[in-house]
Amino acid sequence: MAIETSNECMTVAQAQSLLQNGVDCRGVSDDPPRFQAGDRVRAKVMHPITYTRLPRYVRGKTGTIAKVNGVYVFPDTVGQRLATKPQYVYSVRFAAQELWGPEASPRDCLYIDLFDDHLDAT
Amino acid sequence: MAHTHRPESEIALRVKAIESLLVEKGIVDPATLDTIIEAYEHQIGPHNGARIVAKAWVDADYKQRLLADGTSAIAELGLTGFSSEHMVVVENTPQVHNLIVCTLCSCYPWAILGLPPTWYKSFAYRSRAVIEPRKVLQEFGLAIPDEVEIRVWDSNADLRYLVLPERPQDTEDLSEAALAGLVTRNAMIGTAKVQPPAPPSTLAA
Repeated sequence: MAIETSNECMTVAQAQSLLQNGVDCRGVSDDPPRFQAGDRVRAKVMHPITYTRLPRYVRGKTGTIAKVNGVYVFPDTVGQRLATKPQYVYSVRFAAQELWGPEASPRDCLYIDLFDDHLDAT
Repeated sequence: MAHTHRPESEIALRVKAIESLLVEKGIVDPATLDTIIEAYEHQIGPHNGARIVAKAWVDADYKQRLLADGTSAIAELGLTGFSSEHMVVVENTPQVHNLIVCTLCSCYPWAILGLPPTWYKSFAYRSRAVIEPRKVLQEFGLAIPDEVEIRVWDSNADLRYLVLPERPQDTEDLSEAALAGLVTRNAMIGTAKVQPPAPPSTLAA
């Protein structure tokens, strides 16, 4: 089902409310999160021609769930005005060397928020 | 009134053309546009983030709440808003240095830091901050020792990040407002440290 976007002219009051309150991107899911902090996960290897929040540099890389951030609508489908597809977002920690090879610092790491559809268990 | 001719950049002219078209077609209300521009010119900016940081420096309980749940602790100060709906605050320590980037576009906590600086939106920063953060920080004049862990945060989803920088030494006598005056935008992105006030307050007799 396509998501309808209003073409109405935004009023001053609506702009003030938007600046003050923002846009809530959270969603609701009846399912428990698939992963917990400490779980090892692998980012999927996929190359959609449409919009995605899964950057190429983490695809196929293994990381660790640092935190379960809660449920949010899925920009990969919302961006195409398809379904909101609410799902869990996880903060995933990748070692710099896992992403960039042995020349990266053994101490450094990267945290990125990834959606459930982007992750596989290892 | 004398007409002073000032060459405008191509992008400024393009924006002007698009704006007048949108207004003529009734898609955009100029009063609404003015409201938004006025807010980002006069109300919203890094001084909001500096208030949060200074409060965390002087109030240990607040700092704990801020690090545990950035969104609600920032809401206590009434500083949430557009593009800062879901906030995560990460703390710099002598062992850990945090750096924020959005490799996808330029996601940034607008309500707390204002509009992102041009460099934050550049392809160079967005690609290099994740690959070689130490070199990028060096170019900002910040040498991070090898034994300090660098954590790069790619704010790729709907959460927005704020760095809680280290409080500079010898600032015990400063008020919360004076401390806020020391906190820079770049320190809250992670490309700078907060410098002590000059001249050093310790020299006071």
